[in-house]
Amino acid sequence: MKHLKSFNKKARMIDKATSTDDVEEVVAMQTIVGCTSTNDPGWEVDAFGGLGSLCQPMESDLYGCADACWWPAQVPDTMSNYPDWSQDVAKADEDWRKLDGIFPEEQK
Amino acid sequence: MKLTQKIKAAALMGIAGSVALISGCAMSPSADLNGMKGGGHEYLLTVTRPNQLHVIDTETNKVIRSCDVPGIFGQGTVEPSPDGRIAYVGTNKWEDVVGFDITNCDIVFSAKQSYSNVTVKSFVSLAVSRDGKELYTVQNPTRKLNDRYEVMQPQLAVYDTSAGLNAKPLRTFPVDRQITKIMAMDSGEVILAGNDVQAINPENGDVRVLTLLQNWNRGDTWTQPDAFAMHTLGEQADEFILPYFTIKWNGDPGEMEKAEFWWGMSRVDLKTGEVEAGEILPFEFIVFNFITDPTDSNILYGAFNTLSKHDISEKKTLAVHNMEHTYYNLNMTQNRTIYVGGTSSDISIHDPDTLEKIGSIKLPGDQSTAAMRIAFLK
Repeated sequence: MKHLKSFNKKARMIDKATSTDDVEEVVAMQTIVGCTSTNDPGWEVDAFGGLGSLCQPMESDLYGCADACWWPAQVPDTMSNYPDWSQDVAKADEDWRKLDGIFPEEQK
Repeated sequence: MKLTQKIKAAALMGIAGSVALISGCAMSPSADLNGMKGGGHEYLLTVTRPNQLHVIDTETNKVIRSCDVPGIFGQGTVEPSPDGRIAYVGTNKWEDVVGFDITNCDIVFSAKQSYSNVTVKSFVSLAVSRDGKELYTVQNPTRKLNDRYEVMQPQLAVYDTSAGLNAKPLRTFPVDRQITKIMAMDSGEVILAGNDVQAINPENGDVRVLTLLQNWNRGDTWTQPDAFAMHTLGEQADEFILPYFTIKWNGDPGEMEKAEFWWGMSRVDLKTGEVEAGEILPFEFIVFNFITDPTDSNILYGAFNTLSKHDISEKKTLAVHNMEHTYYNLNMTQNRTIYVGGTSSDISIHDPDTLEKIGSIKLPGDQSTAAMRIAFLK
């Protein structure tokens, strides 16, 4: 990688954005909303490698992750990209079967 | 004679004035509570999907009113006005603020923060000054350009609560990134919970540190604290409270066998501005939020997969109750009834001494990230 050189403006911006100083801003879980990077396990295991500290059942965490764009959650974010994803389902624990997956839009 | 007439006229005007004042009071909207109880009666406020603000009477534990909130759900943050009459709600994908008169669902305030090609999100941050005249949000703006997003400077926005609909900020001041929950103090300053806990003067933008978290200087003996700055705020005890988690290395850093795991808290008295910060309990299980018992500042209650009770002067857990499912936050009335809610579609009611469940409030939708606040209606 050290032999690669930024060629255009966008590439130089990417180089700049990944400088050490900026990486230092990513902190462990202190920021918990807003689609930002957080150092935390997902829904598979808790912070201790177990299950006891995961939200239970998963439906009791589903919208809390989708609405907050909680990065480790494998659900569409309703904060920016998929606001209509779950508008017809008020209760996740009762109607989770009505929630569909998200697929890339066909490019025309 | 003339003097007598003047005295009579003055007396009549005085009486008329008094009548006008009395009738003015009697006819003013603040005196008409539409069947609700004033005098500091406590109402629980929360938001559920698809997007409704619910007003719950803590005497009957019934939902007495549900107000349709404009826009798509997100985030459901609620901030009651000091007189308990207005509930300011964060809505529309974390971008807008709408103020409701909780006695009739009338919308009395609104602010759309995004503009042009700039999307503005406020992550939980919504506060009202202690005199009710100003509303504060922390705005996180991002400009969408043709080939990239430009992340702009976060700022505190100050609104006039009497500005009505489509209000615009009176003032803005730059603030740090990653600020979530905020709360106003008697001093006029606004607490900002982010990487550290700060206070900003909303008149001139001066920022001072109340207590350090990410930037604390404890060397290698302690890990950086991990604070969860969302949901519960502390209005029931007239305070701001923020839990954090940390590890003390008694051996080498990373040597788990010798390590101590601690809960800590940053707690600010909203009247005096006095700050308490430090470790309060050995870490035994996850707690999303703590609240203080309004009758005893040594007693805290915590909620997540369990409801727990703690004595922080003794650094002891007094009781633990397993919950039926995960809850994100909790609150408490002045008679010490505990309400545990957030994420799902029910609020679980508990006895403060035994922690046993004593009731439940069913809601028409999930609370998700919504707050659950106490409004003291005057």
